[in-house]
Amino acid sequence: MGYAQLVIGPAGSGKSTYCSSLSQHCETIGRSINIVNLDPAAENFNYPVAMDIRELISLEDVMDELGLGPNGGLIYCMDLNYHMHLEENLDEWLTEELDNYLDDDYLVFDCPGQIELFSHVPVLKNFVEHLKRKNFNVCVVYLLDSQFITDVTKFISGCMASLSAMVQLELPHVNILSKMDLVRNKRDIENYLNPEPQTLLAELNQRMAPQFGKLNKSLIDLVDQYSMVSFFPLDLRKESSIQYSLSQIDMSIQYGEDADVKVKDFDQEDDD
Amino acid sequence: MDIDSKAPENAASVDTEIKDAADHISKTMEQLNIVEPSSSFKKKPVIIIVVGMAGCGKTTFLHRLVSHTMASNIRGYVMNLDPAILTLPYGANIDIRDTVRYKDVMKQFNLGPNGGILTSLNLFATKFDEVISMIERRADELDYVLVDTPGQIEIFTWSASGAIITEAFASTFPTVIAYVVDTPRSASPATFMSNMLYACSILYKTRLPLVLVFNKTDVAQHEFALEWMKDFEVFHAALDSDHSYTSTLTRSLSLSLEEFYSHLRSVGVSAITGSGMDAFFKTIEASAEEYMETYKADLDKRRAEKERLEEEHKKENMEKLRKDMEKSRGETVILSTGLKDGLEEDEEDEEIEDDDMISEEDYVDDDEEDEDLARG
Repeated sequence: MGYAQLVIGPAGSGKSTYCSSLSQHCETIGRSINIVNLDPAAENFNYPVAMDIRELISLEDVMDELGLGPNGGLIYCMDLNYHMHLEENLDEWLTEELDNYLDDDYLVFDCPGQIELFSHVPVLKNFVEHLKRKNFNVCVVYLLDSQFITDVTKFISGCMASLSAMVQLELPHVNILSKMDLVRNKRDIENYLNPEPQTLLAELNQRMAPQFGKLNKSLIDLVDQYSMVSFFPLDLRKESSIQYSLSQIDMSIQYGEDADVKVKDFDQEDDD
Repeated sequence: MDIDSKAPENAASVDTEIKDAADHISKTMEQLNIVEPSSSFKKKPVIIIVVGMAGCGKTTFLHRLVSHTMASNIRGYVMNLDPAILTLPYGANIDIRDTVRYKDVMKQFNLGPNGGILTSLNLFATKFDEVISMIERRADELDYVLVDTPGQIEIFTWSASGAIITEAFASTFPTVIAYVVDTPRSASPATFMSNMLYACSILYKTRLPLVLVFNKTDVAQHEFALEWMKDFEVFHAALDSDHSYTSTLTRSLSLSLEEFYSHLRSVGVSAITGSGMDAFFKTIEASAEEYMETYKADLDKRRAEKERLEEEHKKENMEKLRKDMEKSRGETVILSTGLKDGLEEDEEDEEIEDDDMISEEDYVDDDEEDEDLARG
């Protein structure tokens, strides 16, 4: 049984920095993890890369060879409808690479930022299926820049964006508010980490136009009922913060348990 | 600070002179027109910000909108905010590429493509007040401002500069978000739901009226979408058969979405064939009215938000500029004054040239995006 984190989130949310810090942290505590780069548009890394999709395809090459801009280039790289032969190669490549990893190995996949790749193109979904076939427990780690969560409307917006990715991937899901070290008023963020539904709803009603009352309530209820919509803070300067996030994620993929494959009831997760 | 300027100093001072003269003229004209100070709200033009996932057809749609306005006596003003687009099929009145050279930004700051786009947008956002002023001056001659956004949706929707630009618009003109949907790709219920959740995310982030534009109806009719939005049971049944997630969560989501849809208007279009254009503009008008009725009250909050964003952005930039100046040892990025491009391009509006003459000096104070962001 292998374990994998799929690190996703908007461009600039801190995915690669997260992978880099995680890598250092695990080295410190003597834990073995392997970071994989799945972003054909990535430039340089602060972490040791175990597998790199740029061996297979690189955005720069695609852009040069096909005369595409970065948008078209990335879609080309990732959309297998455009080049069926790549799908076979991707499968082959993955099989080969994953064979290098034994039981109990822990992989962290640094994914491209573009949400289009989850919602509109099946490549990441297929990739996840492939991992599952190879007996990996996979968890999605969704990173959101905490500096954007300045009021309740942005918080709800962030939850929706995360859900948008979540419903496509159908996996255990951990949301992380990154860059907490850059947030000036940490106390404000607290409100969103342990949401008090009534207070949030009142604030939401104030900020949104009056006709949204019903929708506001519906979304606050959603956040309240489903802990999978909740966020954990991450301050990369603090080892304890990194360790806490790691433990949450480990729990989601049952790392460290000698467990048979459990069927998880997603809407009955423990309150964290 | 050494400014590595391509243009000789004479040209720079001439530019400033011309700019001063232009400013003086417009000020005088404003006084004659008894126009209210620029911070007041205008009913027109209506700003249409076109967003959508990469590949949904935003630019093709914009192109169709431009053709339609030209053919129908609608007075439109076109803005391109995508710094990385290679060829624009329509003529833009304002093009971010005139002011920011994306490739040079990438090279100078050693950024990847995402970083380059984000940084270019950042630089442009710092000058956005000028864009707003320019539109204000022409407000009486315009019906709509059509805005094309970067290809990858979150570069606009989840960036500080995207937020600054949106708030700048929304605090001065009625603004509507046109969320373009790739209809054929959204035919799978899971993809549809994912797409709608993302639209909901945009609704809450921008707090503006949202219009769903189902594009590519020449390839796939959007009736299925309308049915799903109207009847949540039908949608949920389709989703259930397609999904392995526990149905209680998806059911709750479907219910929330049903409420969400009641606040949206939708229209089916085909950018390729041109169908749906009249319906689109009717829908925009209705949304603009909605804006005037309900969102305008929010104006003070919006302006405060915009100022806050700009303040924070400026502080960040000054800090980074200091660091980067140390790193790059005093070299600064060479940005286009826009002058040459303004002359080359087929601009109908002469005023454009005035505003494109943002001298390089202005840019020395502005800064690029954090490199970590580019990599992260």
